Formats: sequence, C-alpha cells, structure tokens
Amino acid sequence: MIEIILMTHVLFGMLCIIATVWLFVDALNASEANQARIKVLSLGVAVTMWISFLIAGYWYLVYYAPDKAIILKGPWPFAHKFFMEMKEHVVIMLLLLTTFLPIVAFNNLAANKAARKVVLWVTGLIGLVAVAMDGAGALIAMGVKVALLPK
Amino acid sequence: METNGIGKYTISFGMSLAITSIVSALLVVVKEMSEHTVLALMKGITFHHWFTHTLFILILFVVIGWILAKANGGQGLKMSVNRFISTLVGAVVLSGLIIAGFYLVWD
Repeated sequence: MIEIILMTHVLFGMLCIIATVWLFVDALNASEANQARIKVLSLGVAVTMWISFLIAGYWYLVYYAPDKAIILKGPWPFAHKFFMEMKEHVVIMLLLLTTFLPIVAFNNLAANKAARKVVLWVTGLIGLVAVAMDGAGALIAMGVKVALLPK
Repeated sequence: METNGIGKYTISFGMSLAITSIVSALLVVVKEMSEHTVLALMKGITFHHWFTHTLFILILFVVIGWILAKANGGQGLKMSVNRFISTLVGAVVLSGLIIAGFYLVWD
C-alpha cells in the first residue's frame, strides 16, 4: 500500500510535467483556436501538481521516517541530507508556480503577447524544476535501495 | 506605467510568488539554524515543521497577492512585463539556489 501511495505521487508528477510541456507548446503556437485548451491545460497542471503534492506530503509525514533512518545508515546519506531536504522545500515553490499558472493562462494568449511571454517563462520554470524534483525523488529512492543491498 | 495588458491579478500574484519564494528560502535557513527556537516553534504550531512551513507560505502567497491587487486604489501593482518576468524568474532561481546551497554546506 505504501508503494502504491508513492507511485501515485510519481504518476501525478509525471502527468503535471506532460501537461506543462503540452501547454508550453500550445502557448508557443497560441491562436484563437487553442485558447480553451490552454486554459484547461493550465488547470490540469495546477490540479495534478496539487494531487501529487498532497499525496507526497501525506507519505512524507506518515511513512518517510523509517526510510530516512535507512538512508542515513547507508552509503548514500546525501540522498536525505541534500536531496530530500532540498526537495521538500523547493517543491513548495513549484506548488506556487503551478497555482499561479492558471491566473496568467486565463488571459487571451493569442491577443496578449505579454501574457503569452509570462506563460512561456512560467511553464519553462515549472518544467525544469519539476524534472529536477523527479530526479531528486529517484535519487532518494536509490538511497534506500543501496542501503538495503547486501554488502 | 506600461503593463502591456497583463491583468492586475497576474502582476499581483506573480510578485507575491516572488516574495514568498524568497521568504520560504530564508525561512529554511533560519529554522535549520535555530533548532531550539524557530524549528521547535514551527513543530509546536502544527505537528511538523514542514507542514507549518507549507501552510505559512501558502497563506502568505494569498495574502500578499490580495494586498498587491488592492494597491493603487484597486488597480493593482503596475510594472512593465520585462521587469515582471525578470523579478519573478530571478526570485525563483535565487530561492532555489539559497535552499540548494544551504543544504550543500549544512549538515
């Protein structure tokens, strides 16, 4: 069950990244024809991020302590000391960025070049930070794995 | 000042995002370096310092954004789009560097 919670977190994180890249491309090619999709995608980015964040927050607060102890006793203590500590705080900014995205994406990006420029920068930031967080998550999981491997 | 048609909520909540990102990064440094005072207080407010941290930043984001939207007699904060983007991106990048840099040297 614990693993399902964690994989659901990753699933929604991946969906958030896919929606972000899709929105970035749609914003690059903004026209009257794709305005509705841009708005739906911006909400999709925010909603998938919130779901991923809430699942991860629940898992972190309830189940992470034993994993942390395992990581710190293993050969990769930096998986917690740097990557987990960094991730749990940087992800708050990611949550703010994805929450902010629909506010700007609900402008008409076909007619408003300034709003389109902001959406491109914000989706670019979300994409880069989200991929970095995904990589940090993989390193944390690997930190547990290498600690449990027979010596 | 020219805002190139960006809505007041975009500017206000974008600037709120910039401010709260920096506050969040500085709060990381302060709480980690003040285990018996700030960190203990944050643990005491809810059941976990990270939960308190997240809650505080989310509330701050909404409150600052709402206040900035009410500025200038309800017209909201005014700034050029290039300045807006550079402030927003700069603040997010700086916050990330503060957090990552801190945990690189802090043990």
